[in-house]
Amino acid sequence: MTPLGELTIKKFHDGLLEKKFSALEVTQAFFRHIKETDAAIGAYLSLNEEAAIKEAEAVDLAVAKDEPQGVLAGVPLAIKDNILIKGLPATAASKILENYTASYDAGVIQKLKAEKAVFLGKTNLDEFAMGASTENSGFQLTKNPHDPERVPGGSSGGSAVAVAAHMALAALGSDTGGSIRQPAAFCGVVGLKPTYGAVSRSGLIAMASSLDQIGPITKTVEDAAILFKAIAGRDQVDATNAGIEYGDELTEPGLESIKQLTVGLPEEYFIEGLDGEVRRGVELAIEKIKSLGLKFKKISLPHTKYALSCYYIIVPAEVSANLARFDGIRYSRTSNLKPKTLNLKEIYLKQRGEGFGAESKRRIILGTFVLSSGYYDAYYEKAQRVRALIRQDFKNAFKEVDVILAPVTPTPAFKIGEKISDPLSMYLSDVFTVPINLAGLPSVSIPVKKYHYPNQTMDSTLQSNSGQASSPRKELPVGFQLIGKHFREGDILGLGRYYEKLN
Amino acid sequence: MPSPIDKKSLERLAELARIELDPKEEERLLQDLPKILDYFKELQELDTSNVEPMAGSTTLKNAFRDDDASEKTNLRAGVEQFPETENGFLKIPPVFE
Repeated sequence: MTPLGELTIKKFHDGLLEKKFSALEVTQAFFRHIKETDAAIGAYLSLNEEAAIKEAEAVDLAVAKDEPQGVLAGVPLAIKDNILIKGLPATAASKILENYTASYDAGVIQKLKAEKAVFLGKTNLDEFAMGASTENSGFQLTKNPHDPERVPGGSSGGSAVAVAAHMALAALGSDTGGSIRQPAAFCGVVGLKPTYGAVSRSGLIAMASSLDQIGPITKTVEDAAILFKAIAGRDQVDATNAGIEYGDELTEPGLESIKQLTVGLPEEYFIEGLDGEVRRGVELAIEKIKSLGLKFKKISLPHTKYALSCYYIIVPAEVSANLARFDGIRYSRTSNLKPKTLNLKEIYLKQRGEGFGAESKRRIILGTFVLSSGYYDAYYEKAQRVRALIRQDFKNAFKEVDVILAPVTPTPAFKIGEKISDPLSMYLSDVFTVPINLAGLPSVSIPVKKYHYPNQTMDSTLQSNSGQASSPRKELPVGFQLIGKHFREGDILGLGRYYEKLN
Repeated sequence: MPSPIDKKSLERLAELARIELDPKEEERLLQDLPKILDYFKELQELDTSNVEPMAGSTTLKNAFRDDDASEKTNLRAGVEQFPETENGFLKIPPVFE
């Protein structure tokens, strides 16, 4: 069988139809590999083995009958544990939901089930997707497969690691302020944050509803386009869903039209604090894209420096409202309290006090504060006005350029424990990703630097097929992001696709 | 200027948010929150008097779903997730003394 590390969605689909392997064989190989490696890495919170095997067998039966198969049929996926799959746990990595079982399928899961995708399990995240390192999980740490002393990024750390360490063919994450793109960059995989309203949020446990979007984490830009096309589109139960149906521009971009795009370089993203490795990586990406014949132009997004403050007011405000539903009664009970002796308010105080982790409590209280009488205008409403300025920056820039190229993160993956005790320094790792969410734009994070796994954790069957000898030196991946106009995922994925073909 | 978050106001916020904090957590929050609020001060540099607040990411108006009948299969699901039920009713602790 093809080694798991060499498979992409496209290669899996071709191999399945050519009967090189069965969906069952590949699914079982993934579970074997997960059981061998994940204890040391911690990507998954729960596995879905029994159902996954059945789903794979059903695909094999259909292939045997020569029934036509969609490109996602039998594709083994990892799903972030804040996305509901009926009958499976959905904890959002929070103790307050540790006993909760999802009672319906998220909109994206309904679409993927219709495509006959296979769900391997649910992946770790920062509690309720609040964080940039997956260290805020209520259950476990997830380690960066390139260096186990470093974080995988967050909040979709488990999903990014599952893909990077070949424990899933592709994955779904969610991105509120960088939670798909930043872990993708830290782990050396591709991550797409779609335009706000492109993908249904139904069944995504809400963190900040005006910013959250579900998106794919994959090995290639081509795979990201395939998976995004499958999950995008109308869902009647999400009133913020724009109902846009995408076409072949996602999966079959034309080189001539991509060459016509003008790429903007925002001066505010190439600041002094940018790590040298990241800067060199982004410069390399620029050179390569120039070799395709695209024009570049310097642009300015003058309100960039205010985006973090704006984001960290708006998000806690929405968090304090969204997390009010977790009362320790409706979705699970988190401890052995004796309810007979406590009244309802005491139950709430205790359940929420014990059930939420430190970052969730910090944001709920901060959000309660910025929305409170006397402070609402100075904080929340002010932030909403600044948000409009940030969106206007991008509108102005997109009059001159079609796509914006920028770093994803100021540094490569940082050490476990390095930032967890200082919330502000953790928030600063989101500096290049939050403005895109505030403006509701699509952005794809693409790896730029080649890397090698450290030898000692290398599974010989999973060596990359790059043809290069593996090096004992640990090298961390670096990525860059391509930001597009609203609902123009075709531009950034198309350009990313041709960039990818250069390598 | 003193920080708008002190011990008394933090305890009030925690009560409003229905979160019980232990003394150690209170201490941490009394360190972190004023620093975070201090960081937010940079927003005051901006004149936003002529800017409309942006309430969400979408410009959609009146997003209605089709008025079709559909059969929901997870009718009892919310009840099943409840820790205590009796004959389909939900059991909760007393609300009043």
